[in-house]
Amino acid sequence: MREHRIPLILLALLLVLPLVVTEPYFQHLMILVLLWVTIGTGWNLLAGYTGQVSFGAAAFFGVGAYTAGLLSHHLGLSAWWGMALGGAVAVLIAFPFGWIAFPLRGAYFALGSLALGEVMRQVATSWESLTEGMVGILIMQTFISKLPYYYIALALAVGSILLVQAVTRSKLGYYFVSIREDQDAAASIGINTTKYKMISLCMHAFLTGTAGALYMNYMGFIDPHVVFSLHDISIMAILVAIVGGVGTLYGPAVGALIMVALQEVFRSAGFGALQALTDAMGGGFMTVVTKYVSQAHVLAFGILVVVVIMNLPNGVVGDWARIKRAFRRG
Amino acid sequence: MKRPGSVVWSVVCCLLLACSVSARAAEGIKVGVVLPLTGTEAQFGEIEWNSFQLALDEINGAGGIKGKPIELVKEDDTGKPDVGRSAMEKLITQDKVVVVGGGYSSSVTFAMAAVAQQRQVPFVVNTGSDDKITEQKWNYVFRLNPPASEYPKALNSFLGEVVKPQTVAILYEKSNFGQSSSKSFAAQCEKMGLKVVLKEGYDSGAVDFKPLLIKVKAANPDLLYMVSYLMDAGLLMRQSKELDINPRLFVGGGAGFTLPGFYDNAGKAADYVFSATLWTETVPYPGAKAYFDKYQKKYGHPTEYHGAEAYACMYVIADALKRAKELTPAAVQEALVHTDVMTAFGPVKFVSYDKKTQQNKLPTYLVQWQGGKLETVWPKEIATKPAVYPVPKWSERK
Amino acid sequence: MEVFFQTLVAGVLKGGLYALIGIGMTLIMGVMGIINLAHGQMMMLAMYLTYVCFHFLGIDPYVTLLVSVPCLFLVGVGVQKYTLNPLLKIESLLPENQVLMTVGVGMVLTEVARFIFTSNYVSVKTSYSDATFFIGGISFSVALTIAFGFACALTAGMFWFLLKTDLGRSIRAVAQDAEAASLMGVNADRIRTITMGMGAGLVAAAGTLLLPIYYLFPDIGGPFTRKAFVITILGGLGSTVGAILGGVTLGLAEAFGATYIGMDYEDMMGLVIFILVLLFLPGGFKRLTKV
Repeated sequence: MREHRIPLILLALLLVLPLVVTEPYFQHLMILVLLWVTIGTGWNLLAGYTGQVSFGAAAFFGVGAYTAGLLSHHLGLSAWWGMALGGAVAVLIAFPFGWIAFPLRGAYFALGSLALGEVMRQVATSWESLTEGMVGILIMQTFISKLPYYYIALALAVGSILLVQAVTRSKLGYYFVSIREDQDAAASIGINTTKYKMISLCMHAFLTGTAGALYMNYMGFIDPHVVFSLHDISIMAILVAIVGGVGTLYGPAVGALIMVALQEVFRSAGFGALQALTDAMGGGFMTVVTKYVSQAHVLAFGILVVVVIMNLPNGVVGDWARIKRAFRRG
Repeated sequence: MKRPGSVVWSVVCCLLLACSVSARAAEGIKVGVVLPLTGTEAQFGEIEWNSFQLALDEINGAGGIKGKPIELVKEDDTGKPDVGRSAMEKLITQDKVVVVGGGYSSSVTFAMAAVAQQRQVPFVVNTGSDDKITEQKWNYVFRLNPPASEYPKALNSFLGEVVKPQTVAILYEKSNFGQSSSKSFAAQCEKMGLKVVLKEGYDSGAVDFKPLLIKVKAANPDLLYMVSYLMDAGLLMRQSKELDINPRLFVGGGAGFTLPGFYDNAGKAADYVFSATLWTETVPYPGAKAYFDKYQKKYGHPTEYHGAEAYACMYVIADALKRAKELTPAAVQEALVHTDVMTAFGPVKFVSYDKKTQQNKLPTYLVQWQGGKLETVWPKEIATKPAVYPVPKWSERK
Repeated sequence: MEVFFQTLVAGVLKGGLYALIGIGMTLIMGVMGIINLAHGQMMMLAMYLTYVCFHFLGIDPYVTLLVSVPCLFLVGVGVQKYTLNPLLKIESLLPENQVLMTVGVGMVLTEVARFIFTSNYVSVKTSYSDATFFIGGISFSVALTIAFGFACALTAGMFWFLLKTDLGRSIRAVAQDAEAASLMGVNADRIRTITMGMGAGLVAAAGTLLLPIYYLFPDIGGPFTRKAFVITILGGLGSTVGAILGGVTLGLAEAFGATYIGMDYEDMMGLVIFILVLLFLPGGFKRLTKV
């Protein structure tokens, strides 16, 4: 029970959080964090535990989102059906992709997955009769309140972490890690590497696709550039995991919090604090500063990546001991 | 397992941040504006924001609304629908604005309009042009600018009365604006009895449009209609010159073809290109020329139709605030429904027609590049120069 | 027929430019075994240098080659020396850390360019920007033809360099087996650094040659990075001849795809080729040409 204490306390906190913080804007940010926890955890399973670095999370995310959107758009069903089907459809895409790409190793696999995301985006843009192309798909949200979305996102995030925990404690996890450590050695002791890589990929696709379907329901609007975005989805998924800690259970959760907070702090220029300062001080200088800061979140991401990879190769969670030591010394 | 303590810390920090943000004391009337202030559309977002402020200063300078100044709360949608959505939510729930203006790109505007409708705060759209935005029966969404399908209105009458072409080729960028407006233009052509010999989309950012233009050349249309943003527009014209393509006229469907940057990039190849536009400084509305001059004077560079839309939007909002019985979203919505005001962008009155509701109806214009200057050529009554037509062949130009 | 030949010419000329972008990538991939996902962003940097030289100093883009190529060589050297080489010594779970690092570097380069030049589009207009000559009714763009010539010359030059010079031999040795090369007294870190510099310099040449006929904004790098890796996979790692074949093949595929299938599918052509090569010709053209 001891090892579960902190996560359980945290979960309890998260359950009551939206009842305490009723500001919809912060509830919205928390929903984003939880969504990224799910996506990052899924990516971490494939890359962190199985060693297959993918630049293709957007492909599965987008397929999930479009599954939900198209069900509602063409068949008039509730987009919530997408929550049940989005992950499954993403897995259907994952199969042929895995079959093509798994003979590839390392960087080549990464390139293959990058190509997958791009192909999906192109298809969604050009196939106007099915997807409406760049006009996008709009549905009306079911709830005005954020609470239902928050709890669904929380359930999804907790579910994905529990899934990864279960996997890592099973034989499956052992196979995954052995593939990551040395694929040839794993194959030589009789592990069917393609099969287990495929299982890992399918879990990743399922989690990401379900998150995509939730995104459709929550945001109410998608177009190919939003959900198949290389930068905003695929690379963001990678950043979430590596900043938090690749190959650690809670790494992506920490990474999601850091990344979403960082993005929002910059976009809103310190939650409007800088703007307030500008108004108080007046003068052109602060206006310029505010303008630059609000543009700088991608730059901050870039610098963060460089710094994290150089100094914390195992992420905030993986290198937590090192961070603590550094602070003690400092 | 490694210590998950950092999670706790981060949550605590987040909460602290949440608490430290307190709404600034408001004495004015809060009006939200959502525009792309960063990202690839920032150029237009800036022109619109400047125009909003220009109008704001005039309105507040004249005493504001019922003695209270208007306070604009700006949000950056970064050109992305999801960010636009959260910006809209923030304006409504946190800043508690009574009305929102802005909305640049079609997809962002569409996504934001749904939020405004759901949360019952009036949204005056001034640029997002997808027809669907005002076809949803959303009573909290008003649109000042014509929808994309009406951009070529002036072009159509020019074609019908003067050019009478037989065939047309349509090239469009695969964006919301490109896909939706090319579709409606193709439908209008069919109705006018024009044959669409080629209709093809492309991805913005292509290096080489020659494969596409070769097909245009082979099809030899009377009219080449292009829906493109700034730089693709320049490349299309330069490469048309390289391939010596000579339709009777080149026409841009709004967006990139009216900007000064188009002429900078395309150079002489830009000459004689027509473009649909929604506004020029020579339109016969009170304040249009004055707005153009004031903008030039204050910001040191010229404005164009997007700016006029934003400038007019601020005045429409101010007008509604003046007439509103009280300063609540519902009362402002009520006032907006009865809007009947003249602006620098034209008369504004939100009416229902066809499938659209609360849509302002305005004429559009046709302009043509002549010797590096954008001249209004249609409708005739306000033309600054007669249209040069058919355009001279490339080989006959100097 | 005219349509066919015009498409052919358009494809080959564009292919020459693509080859120039691809050669740098293929060198880096061949020697270091990593994908440089900041490749297009380095090209963007070179294009801005060219723009600045032209716009403020009035230097012709072709003369700017003498500035942009050495400058980007230094940038490449710096990136390798200070961000990528140290990673070889850091223990981490994922060997792809270097690739992820190039993503970070690419983001930083793009955003720095955005800070300095804003997101606005800029272009360089020269007398030859839209100059053409006609052979039998087929139009040739002057600037693209010159770029094509440069690509061929540089490929030949690289080929000779790798085959005949000491440095070239060391580079090939590290590409084949870095550890063995180290044992033979080759300083592998130094070779990696020089290779990255050369890769950056080559793509700088491509950017400078492209600018007169194209335009520029900070996000321009991404699509070209993607084209570069398609070319590299197509041509085969480390193969300069493969890069030019790959570049021309990609140019032709895009042009013919755009003419006969639809411009909608231009970008998709490259990705389809990429997947086909992985499936049916792993190793790319290098397998066929052996060089």
